[in-house]
Amino acid sequence: MYQTPAKHPLSAELPALDDATYAAMWALFCHIGKYWQNMPDPEPFRSQLYSFMLNRINLRPVYRDYYLFAAATLRGLIEQHGEDGAYAFLFTDTDANKAPPETALAVTRQKVANEFMALQLSLGGFKAFGAINYCGFIGGANIPGQAAPYRTLEADHEG
Amino acid sequence: MKVETLIIGSGVAAAALAQRLLAKNPNASILMLEAGRKVKMQDAAIWQDYVVSGKLPYTQYYDLPYPDRDQPGENLSAGTTAVPLDGSRALTYGGSTIHWGGWSFRLKPEDFALRTNTGHSLDWPISYADLEPYYSQAEHYIGVSGDSNDPTVPRHCDYPFPAFPYTLEDQPAAEAMAALGMAYSHLPIARHGITDTTSRHAPCQTTGTCKYCPFGARYSANNFLDDMQNWGNFPGLQIRLNSIVQEISMRSRQQAGGVVYLDRETGQQVVVEADRIIVAAGTLESTKLLLRSRSDHWQLGIGNDHDLVGRNIVTHPYFIFSGSAPGNPLKLQPEMNFPTLCSRHFDSPAEQAKGKFILINPPGSPTVNLLSKMQAGVSRLDMDRYVAGPRQIQLHGMVEIFSEPQNRIANIDKLNHLGMQETLVDFGQAAGFDPRMQEIQGHVQRLFEAMGATMNAKPTISWRADHAACTLRMSDDDSEGVTDRHMRVHGVDNLYVCSNATFPSTGAVNPTLTLAALALRLGDHLNHATGQP
Repeated sequence: MYQTPAKHPLSAELPALDDATYAAMWALFCHIGKYWQNMPDPEPFRSQLYSFMLNRINLRPVYRDYYLFAAATLRGLIEQHGEDGAYAFLFTDTDANKAPPETALAVTRQKVANEFMALQLSLGGFKAFGAINYCGFIGGANIPGQAAPYRTLEADHEG
Repeated sequence: MKVETLIIGSGVAAAALAQRLLAKNPNASILMLEAGRKVKMQDAAIWQDYVVSGKLPYTQYYDLPYPDRDQPGENLSAGTTAVPLDGSRALTYGGSTIHWGGWSFRLKPEDFALRTNTGHSLDWPISYADLEPYYSQAEHYIGVSGDSNDPTVPRHCDYPFPAFPYTLEDQPAAEAMAALGMAYSHLPIARHGITDTTSRHAPCQTTGTCKYCPFGARYSANNFLDDMQNWGNFPGLQIRLNSIVQEISMRSRQQAGGVVYLDRETGQQVVVEADRIIVAAGTLESTKLLLRSRSDHWQLGIGNDHDLVGRNIVTHPYFIFSGSAPGNPLKLQPEMNFPTLCSRHFDSPAEQAKGKFILINPPGSPTVNLLSKMQAGVSRLDMDRYVAGPRQIQLHGMVEIFSEPQNRIANIDKLNHLGMQETLVDFGQAAGFDPRMQEIQGHVQRLFEAMGATMNAKPTISWRADHAACTLRMSDDDSEGVTDRHMRVHGVDNLYVCSNATFPSTGAVNPTLTLAALALRLGDHLNHATGQP
């Protein structure tokens, strides 16, 4: 009798996302790391991205539409700006961040790209900025005799 | 329906007490009535929702804000100082442990003699030495990681898990405190560690998402209750959700007979008889239940012949000092979501008469938010400059305040959005509070200067009711306290309160560990009383 279902009842009725949409979302994820130079090899996280997308759809079925919509929007942007230019535009256009999202670009930015950025940082993208742990990153346990899974005062003083 | 033990509430007090009773008698007949519902725990989709959007699955079970011009709200703040209820507690299965921070401090010996030492409030009817063994047991029960060599508070038994090392973010505060001769120590925190004993509780993986731990490593009573139900082989343990207790009924003036509760699923009023009743519904609801349980035996509410029920409420004002520092060469940034360094330097006998306080180096200091910068489209070069550049820092803390009888809570004859009776909070801060905060600001100012930072204006102070307490205080004298040293309501043989409400005072620290210790102690008392050694 859980009151906050992890699977929305409508989600089970939805058709699966097609391969092209998954590929488009993967490309978007990879370009986050390319644009900010904070994830040289995203490949190990491909399955986690797909799992994340499925979880989002399970929790809120509208995410399936967001991903389909984003894939179509990105196709249009790439035609217009070229590949790198399209992602740079998506990531930096200030109007795309105005809430609530009322354009195709804004939906793609706020409901998809911005969430992928959060996921990408928590999967390890944060490390490029100097830390070794981050909120959302599974850093590991505090095991006596082993280095802590985050930067510590003691280690800094010892080192 | 008839049970031996009826427990109202399902938070840490209820869970620890039930665990202790069932440890002695696995067949004990125990019914737990919880007004709230369940939230799914340790779910990947919900966790990721929290990681990417900050949404938590239980905020719908918070109180609404007080009524305002543009929103109907709920509850009523009638005093000169608003004590917000929204966000302070979770009205759900597991109680407020579903969202608590896990800070697991012990009170200090002098806290138990507040009136003797200062003339304020009330002494506890028990001493630190009486409670010390139960503090150790409570630390093991909720799984506290702490520094067993910390001399701040006397202890006879090690923490079950070692302290988390200080984060590098702690460096500026630690060095400043050392330079000024202010002692600091590891913050004891309810996060399970690695153990060589069989445990169903996963160790903390330092995800920094403690408000919704994906592993259940941070103590949450609902996880423990689920374990008891699923694995405990306790045939007499029942937990009923959606059950709002309306009143306690009395067989006579000295004997509670049971309760009447509203089953929200059926809309029916249900009567339960019980040999003994333990009210463990948090300070506000425990107090309000006694107040509205009026009968010919107790015309002002149970235990309220001296008009003490609901009076003397305290909470901890939580203060945040902010400052600016010129640079961040170590690229300090939040690597966890819980603090590791605290100072109980001013939580001392010397400060007791003025109101002790503690300082915390929070995990979000300095304020570095990579995600907000990326989402704003900031370039990599500018992000690097941002991380290493001028930074905002903070020091947090809590200060002790003293009970005053005019500060009180009561029922309002109106239901909140969850179907529970609303709360009136009538509170006013004491005249001495502002001067005390100015004094505290002076100490923090020195720390900021030692950290090379400039303090920004005044602190923000939240009087939120997270640590609400003292409304059903323990005392051996029934003219001063509602409950006795075993948290039994004076004048009633079989009615107990297991809540922060029974604290005579709260010191400067979070109350949960003390409450867990009191719950285990009550369990032993009840086991002894029923011939279960």
